Amino acid sequence: MNSIPPGGDRRNPNRFDRRKSAQVSGHLELLSKMSGHLAVTINIEETIQKALDLIVQFVKAEGGALFMLTDRGNRLVCKASAGPVDIRGISVRAGEGIVGQCVASGTNRMVRDVMQDPDFDHSVDDSTGFRTRSILCAPMTVQNERIGAIELVNKDDENGLFSEPDLLMLQTLASAAALAIHNAHMAEELVEQERVTRELELATEMQRSLLPEPRGPGFPVCGVNLPAYEMSGDFYDFFELADGRIYFGLGDVSGKGMDAALLMSKTASLFRCLGKTILEPDILLATINRELCETAIHGMFVTMVCGLLDPATGEVRVANAGHEPLQIHRRDGSFNEIAASSPPLGIIPLETGDNGIRMEACLLDCGTLYIFTDGVTEGALENGSRLNVEGFKAMIRERAGLPAAARIEAVVSVLRGTGRKRHDDITLLAVDDSTRCLCRDNSPGEENLIARHTFPAHPEELHGVREVVARACETCSCGQALSTDLIIAVGEACQNVVRHAYKGRETGEATLEIYCKDGILEFHLLDSAPPVDQDKVKPKWPEELTPGGLGVCLIHDIMDEVEYLPAPAVRGNLLRMVKRITRDAANET
Amino acid sequence: MKHEITVKQGTNIVAFSGEIDLESSPAAREILLKCFEITNNVIVDLSGVTYIDSSGVASLVEALQAAKKNGSRFALAATSEPTRRVLELARLDKVFTLYDSVNDGINA
Repeated sequence: MNSIPPGGDRRNPNRFDRRKSAQVSGHLELLSKMSGHLAVTINIEETIQKALDLIVQFVKAEGGALFMLTDRGNRLVCKASAGPVDIRGISVRAGEGIVGQCVASGTNRMVRDVMQDPDFDHSVDDSTGFRTRSILCAPMTVQNERIGAIELVNKDDENGLFSEPDLLMLQTLASAAALAIHNAHMAEELVEQERVTRELELATEMQRSLLPEPRGPGFPVCGVNLPAYEMSGDFYDFFELADGRIYFGLGDVSGKGMDAALLMSKTASLFRCLGKTILEPDILLATINRELCETAIHGMFVTMVCGLLDPATGEVRVANAGHEPLQIHRRDGSFNEIAASSPPLGIIPLETGDNGIRMEACLLDCGTLYIFTDGVTEGALENGSRLNVEGFKAMIRERAGLPAAARIEAVVSVLRGTGRKRHDDITLLAVDDSTRCLCRDNSPGEENLIARHTFPAHPEELHGVREVVARACETCSCGQALSTDLIIAVGEACQNVVRHAYKGRETGEATLEIYCKDGILEFHLLDSAPPVDQDKVKPKWPEELTPGGLGVCLIHDIMDEVEYLPAPAVRGNLLRMVKRITRDAANET
Repeated sequence: MKHEITVKQGTNIVAFSGEIDLESSPAAREILLKCFEITNNVIVDLSGVTYIDSSGVASLVEALQAAKKNGSRFALAATSEPTRRVLELARLDKVFTLYDSVNDGINA
């Protein structure tokens, strides 16, 4: 046996120390070389091959192979091979052959003459023509888990025999290789994890894009969707038809996660696509149902509401398939429900009518229709209790004076602000008829007119206009400061008519009407000049320092509302400016 | 709009009174720019101005720009309530040099 006794060679300690020292430094050099090589790659295959090449080269073997456990530890597959024969891809059953036994027992093997070893498997030699004489084999272990083994064949020197130090060296290098492979595995997993995260981000983005863009104040339908996780199983949508009516829909897919999200995307697409041609909400739901049933995924279904709003009349035609009752908040503060008439979509084919999907028609009459998923009513409040339908109604009642978007945002922020982990998506849609009525109820009539002044569009007329405004402010008890502001704003508006609308031609006239109703001053400035470009009369602070641009900014700064209304005549512009007289302003003298 | 120009301790004081609006602002502009032809030190006394609109503000801005260009001094003094309010709304109260009174301006 060519082993080195512990403590070294007593007969010539110096010679041994030198040898040992040379060996150790070679050993260290290899380890550092290997670490250096392995550090630059996170590709597993590359890592394995590099590790094996370095080991074979250093131990001076004719060839070598690196086996990894696969198939839940049942097989050992050659993942890298060095030497005259490439045996990558061959596999042996775990526990068989010298390499199998080495892995199974977790111990090193040194076989000096394979012919004498009953464990030696001749099949590889037989098929490749290579002649194996001796074998050195060390298992690879990471955190007590066996991951494979490195096998070296035939020492490349005169006697072709491996020595004990060779085995020791292989054992050390195998540990380093195992660690490198483990790291590469982790790096690959990390890359994979990042890929999945990125995919999920893209999917989330894609899904968000299915929701409609908010349309701003004045548009009667608005919604909000707050997913509990990255992907939502809820959706809402709305779009306008050519005849001015607005289709709206909201759905809740059973279950959570990616499968629910995909079914949500499908249902949302069907709604938007089919809704353009199927103008009856009940028939639309029945058609979507047929499509969903055809490609049913076992156990998944969708509760869904869709309807049509006629913004001109406030009439709503709506159908509810298996969804929570809809709530209509009436102008008098009461609530009406529209309950589901059929089971959810995606389970069985459904007819329209009383025995299936029934359509309800009703007038919102300045009220608001709310559609929401159970994530809203079952959402947890600060104190841990659920919001419930009654809590929802109370919140809405308290905020009846706010625009619809602010009302639903308030509900959502109460549920979002608790800091509790949500388990369900929160989706809420409001179909609001109150703005139509607000305009109708609040626009001043002839009885509220306190001044009407028609003037030629000349600079020297502006002084007279300002006096009219000053008197009107006095009539309405505006207070001095507000009066000053209103004279500035109306003066600028009239100045713009003189300067821009008639473009210096001296043929035009303008009329200023001042209304006062319920503490609100409303100014209507009418001219018969060509229509103004709306973009040019938007305030653009601060770069706009031309007198005209400055004037527009002053008007917007002072007034609560500034808008161009359709002019009563074919030509002309009607500028409407509104200012609320606050108590503070009125009390000031 | 009326105006009066006086010279006090080497400073030209332009006192406007009445309303500076679209009708009178071209005249105000003319008066101020002319001043810089004979002096490089102008204070505008706004105490008598009862109303100024954006075109009047534009005349003041133009005078300020002309002053900056040739290194002259241009300041506003004794802004009346309506003028102060417009300058404030126009965010120009920090752009102009403002003095509480003409004398403050002269002695500054």
